[in-house]
Amino acid sequence: MPYRFVLLIAGLASLVIAAAGAAEAHPHVWVTMTEELLYAPDGTVTGVRHAWTFDDMYSAFAIQGLESKTPGVFTHEELKPLAQVNVESLKEYAYFTYAKLDGKRQKDAFLDPVDYFLDYDAKQAVLTLHFTLPFKAPVKAKALELEVYDPEFFIAFGFAERDPVRLVSAPAACQASVEKPRDDNFPATLRLNKVFASSEANIGMGASFANRIWVKCP
Amino acid sequence: MPVTDGVAARWMRRLATVALIAVLVLAASALASAWAQVGPLGGPRPPPADGMVGWLFAQQALFYRSLAGSIRAAKTDGSAYWGLIGISFLYGIFHAAGPGHGKAVISSYLLANEETWRRGIALSFASALLQALTAIVLVAVAALLIGATAKMMGDTVRAIEVASYALIVLLGARLFWVKGRGFLHALHAMRSGSPNAHGDGQAHSYNGHTHDHHHAHEHDEEESALPWGHAHGPQPQELAGPGGWHRGLSAIVAVGLRPCSGAILVLVFALAQGLFWAGVASTLVMGLGTAITVAAIATLAVGAKAAAKRFAATRAGYGSLVLRGLEAVAALMVMALGVLLLTGYLASERLGAF
Repeated sequence: MPYRFVLLIAGLASLVIAAAGAAEAHPHVWVTMTEELLYAPDGTVTGVRHAWTFDDMYSAFAIQGLESKTPGVFTHEELKPLAQVNVESLKEYAYFTYAKLDGKRQKDAFLDPVDYFLDYDAKQAVLTLHFTLPFKAPVKAKALELEVYDPEFFIAFGFAERDPVRLVSAPAACQASVEKPRDDNFPATLRLNKVFASSEANIGMGASFANRIWVKCP
Repeated sequence: MPVTDGVAARWMRRLATVALIAVLVLAASALASAWAQVGPLGGPRPPPADGMVGWLFAQQALFYRSLAGSIRAAKTDGSAYWGLIGISFLYGIFHAAGPGHGKAVISSYLLANEETWRRGIALSFASALLQALTAIVLVAVAALLIGATAKMMGDTVRAIEVASYALIVLLGARLFWVKGRGFLHALHAMRSGSPNAHGDGQAHSYNGHTHDHHHAHEHDEEESALPWGHAHGPQPQELAGPGGWHRGLSAIVAVGLRPCSGAILVLVFALAQGLFWAGVASTLVMGLGTAITVAAIATLAVGAKAAAKRFAATRAGYGSLVLRGLEAVAALMVMALGVLLLTGYLASERLGAF
């Protein structure tokens, strides 16, 4: 009887987890990103330039059915329709880009993307989406905080290992730093997937999956 | 009424109480997690998943990521196929334990209905197999035959998704109609007259066959119930006829129709590597893993229901009212899950935002 009792408790616990799990997800897309903050001569930030590299599995899915002159190689021109679809679909998700000025979260901070294109690396078989999000009004703040993440975590964003953030023509006093998600599983990812090793996209939902960029201009 | 003296009966009652509490917790947590999803875009970050759930996430994400690696390796190294099969199986097991509405719908369905554990397992395997097959057929037709683009495939999946979620709503609505009426009947029966007499009558009309098993061991009771086409109670019979498969089919299709995004990505990736069959094998094995997890949860749901039923049998009138109420709540949960999925408040999968 105690055995059945234990079994039942375990079972009911599983049911609870099952029900709770229905609302959760794990990522199917991994993005390795490098970010650039664009500055105007007057020292204001005019926009954010994203470069997002998708993992090889998702890249293969994205280019499925696309025609190219040379098999296995795609020009920017050939990828143009896909890039168009990409930025249009991203609008619904607010481009996964969230800005905070002096600690205040900005709503609808960005205009529609400009200068967007897709780049295909035939050797690594990965796609990179480039696009620029202009701020609605150029931003002047002592502290600018930028976050890139998918709140639903279908997409795991992670900074590139080397030079993830660049300030383009920023005043000399400005300094950028990044806060990476704490992810205990990252070394395991490296082991398993060498091709994608340059990514710090976190594998599981750790204590935090924030990818935060801090820019301070005293 | 059954004689409720002795240690066994006391244990049964305790068990049933635990079952009832847990079912309430289940309902509450399902609602809570659903509400947690409702929020403005870019709003508060979801609470970090630590502990058991976080570990599940990490495991399945790891297995998922290593699928790509093993497919790539299989291109040059034949022995990597075995690794791919093993990883696919583990991914299936963990994937089903994590996201996905399948097990939530199936276990709620089983709580609402009176089913044998065999039927629960059969439902789980059938829906998982159907899910694997839809993914394979979709990619084979779309990518292999007509050279569809990712967007076309994504749109197809979305259409299937809507149909599948609508089916869940219908399934839940029908169940709720039946079980809600059952609850009202029980309520009516209890109000009009002494609970004892009516409780007895209720038990008879509700489920005659339990009486045959009064003195059998509880475990045997579950096993001796006919696995297929077993008619339970008058109401489902009225609506779905005596055929058990008939009834189960709607649940199988509602749950299994929507292909898993992971399977589609694996299949397309395998196709791009010129290893479509490796993708097919991986998808089928993933389905097997998923089926095992869902079947385990389904079995527990059936067990919980059986315990609740035994509890109901120990209390005249009142017990059957609780049981009917429980079924109605479970049916409502199936419907609520469907509505939340359909309206996008609860998203278990999303095939690309790009």
